[in-house]
Amino acid sequence: MRNAAPALFLAAFLLSCSRTPQRSLTIAVNAGVEGTALKAAAKEWGEANHARIEVVELPYANLFEKEQLDLTSRTGAYDVIMLDDPWFPRMAADLARLPRDPDSDFVSTCLEVCRNPYKTGAYLALPYVGNAQLFFYRKDLFEKYRLAAPKTWDDVLVAAKKIGEGEKMYGYVMRAAPGNAVVADFMPLLWAFGGGVMEGNRAVCNSPPAVEALRFMLELGKYSPPGYAGFNADEVSAHLLQGTAAMSINWPAWIAAMDDPAKSKVVGKIEFSQMPGERDPGVGELGAWLVAVPAGSKHAADAFDFIYWATEPAQMKQAALKGNPPTRRSIFQSPDLMAKFRSYPAQLASLESARPRPRTAEWNEIENSFGIYLSKANDGAMDPRAALNAAADSIQKILERNESATHP
Amino acid sequence: MLLALSIYPLIYSVKLAAADRRNFTRLFTDRLFLTASIQTIWLTLSALSIEFLLGLALALLIDSLARGRMFFRTALLIPMLLPPVVAAVAWRLIYNPQFGVLNGTLRRLGFHTADLTWTSGESSALASVILVDVWEWTPFLFLLLSAGLQAIPPEPLEAARVDGAGAWRIFRDVTLPLLKPTIVLALLLRTMDLVRIFDQIFILTQGGPGTATETVSLYIYRTAFRFSNFGYAAAMSFVLLAATLLFSRGLLRAMRAR
Repeated sequence: MRNAAPALFLAAFLLSCSRTPQRSLTIAVNAGVEGTALKAAAKEWGEANHARIEVVELPYANLFEKEQLDLTSRTGAYDVIMLDDPWFPRMAADLARLPRDPDSDFVSTCLEVCRNPYKTGAYLALPYVGNAQLFFYRKDLFEKYRLAAPKTWDDVLVAAKKIGEGEKMYGYVMRAAPGNAVVADFMPLLWAFGGGVMEGNRAVCNSPPAVEALRFMLELGKYSPPGYAGFNADEVSAHLLQGTAAMSINWPAWIAAMDDPAKSKVVGKIEFSQMPGERDPGVGELGAWLVAVPAGSKHAADAFDFIYWATEPAQMKQAALKGNPPTRRSIFQSPDLMAKFRSYPAQLASLESARPRPRTAEWNEIENSFGIYLSKANDGAMDPRAALNAAADSIQKILERNESATHP
Repeated sequence: MLLALSIYPLIYSVKLAAADRRNFTRLFTDRLFLTASIQTIWLTLSALSIEFLLGLALALLIDSLARGRMFFRTALLIPMLLPPVVAAVAWRLIYNPQFGVLNGTLRRLGFHTADLTWTSGESSALASVILVDVWEWTPFLFLLLSAGLQAIPPEPLEAARVDGAGAWRIFRDVTLPLLKPTIVLALLLRTMDLVRIFDQIFILTQGGPGTATETVSLYIYRTAFRFSNFGYAAAMSFVLLAATLLFSRGLLRAMRAR
């Protein structure tokens, strides 16, 4: 018996070593409404698959830097990452290719940004949150002043003037803080007036249509609250929620707040529509959240399993109920969800026509530079033409420095 | 430990910066870096002067009180105890032109506030940021200078008084020279902190409107973590480090010379 003890101990040790190691996934998500649903999905997948799930929740600004560091150094710290679509061109080189192409139920604009190169290349991510800019306006005031739903930016300007004067409120509110804020509010105007930021490797943001679009933005600024040149999304939404402004460009994440009596003084009064046009049809900016597997992931098979599962219709419906705009057409058209979310038809139309930001790895730097000059123009520190010339000069330098290949 | 946490990262950042010679030549042609540098200098000098003068005045005033010193000291320290991020978020709400408590109070007092846009105005944004820094960090200078004042032995002050010196003369010829080591320390610590100011600006203005509040550390952060250009960010960091060392050395020399 004494001789059997070491043998039993050895057998137990070998048995413990031969057990299948526990499955585990580390997932980086955005700390916000977009990340909440993915967190819940990860927990559910972990329980169903007996896998240990670690969710690293990071604020938007930190999420990019942490993910970028992990991707470039290939540490394998994260198995699944959630990324904003403008980050995709920079991160694409360090993402693992999807084992199979996604199905055609996904909205095509969302799928196109998951390919590298844009629209034509291999799929490296799956679209999880279908964000596209919408136009928010006060339906009750439009009816009061017998104004038709705004189809063009000229309609918006006329309505801003009429409502602003009649109601002693701001006819329009926009965000013009430097960086992403002002660029996001300018892009729909720029596109509607027929302008663009870049053509290939050439900065064209000082073209005549672009100057005209910026002049129009400043005209709208006359009906916006003083200090809008420092506004971010919070300030814009606060004006809408408090009923002190009548119209704005906004993101779907704010729709729920508009109809929440605890936060809003304008419950049921805000209508959501597609972006107004001008010379060209109106298009909003695409801001889809994607899920991808870093090339350095040590649990790639499980990670792919999870992202395919999390973007299946049943799971996406769960995410939609938690407030995430879906990326699948079937979810937008699901009768029970359409009854629950009155903005879904406008959201789907907007998403289907949305345009992504220029597909270049240098977009963060370009957006920062462009945003500085747009903000200066909105603050009155620079004339629109001079601001756009300076922006074009700066963007050109960035493009030349990085010899970036872009896709419009 | 020192090797792992300080020396290796330092050598690594030198390597990053020196990997491409253009990282240093670009510094001379980068308009944004130049703007950010000028603004950092302006912000540092303005905030430092105001904080020092206010901190010294408060330290002298409270030191002269017969009663209630402890209460005032504790009350004055509250802003400094708040994390800079929390203070910045609070001030962002205070500064809001339409819904903020600052313009709200001014409106109640009968002032016209339509043009008071604080952090959103090209001309007022930097001053608004300086005001937040003064509010938060004057207590730090007050604390150090107050400790310095208490460490001054009473004999020289008594002797000056017996010799018939007035309050101003005592302050100028006795208190100030004896307080000099504390002043140097306080100014050095605040300078180093101000040169790398980040949190308040990141939350209050993100460097805007335009580039009105862009500072070197904010630009370094963006270059490294938003534009993923670590080499250029490292080059800028070394310039910032050199400037801080030069300024500190200059300050020490100036104080020693007097």
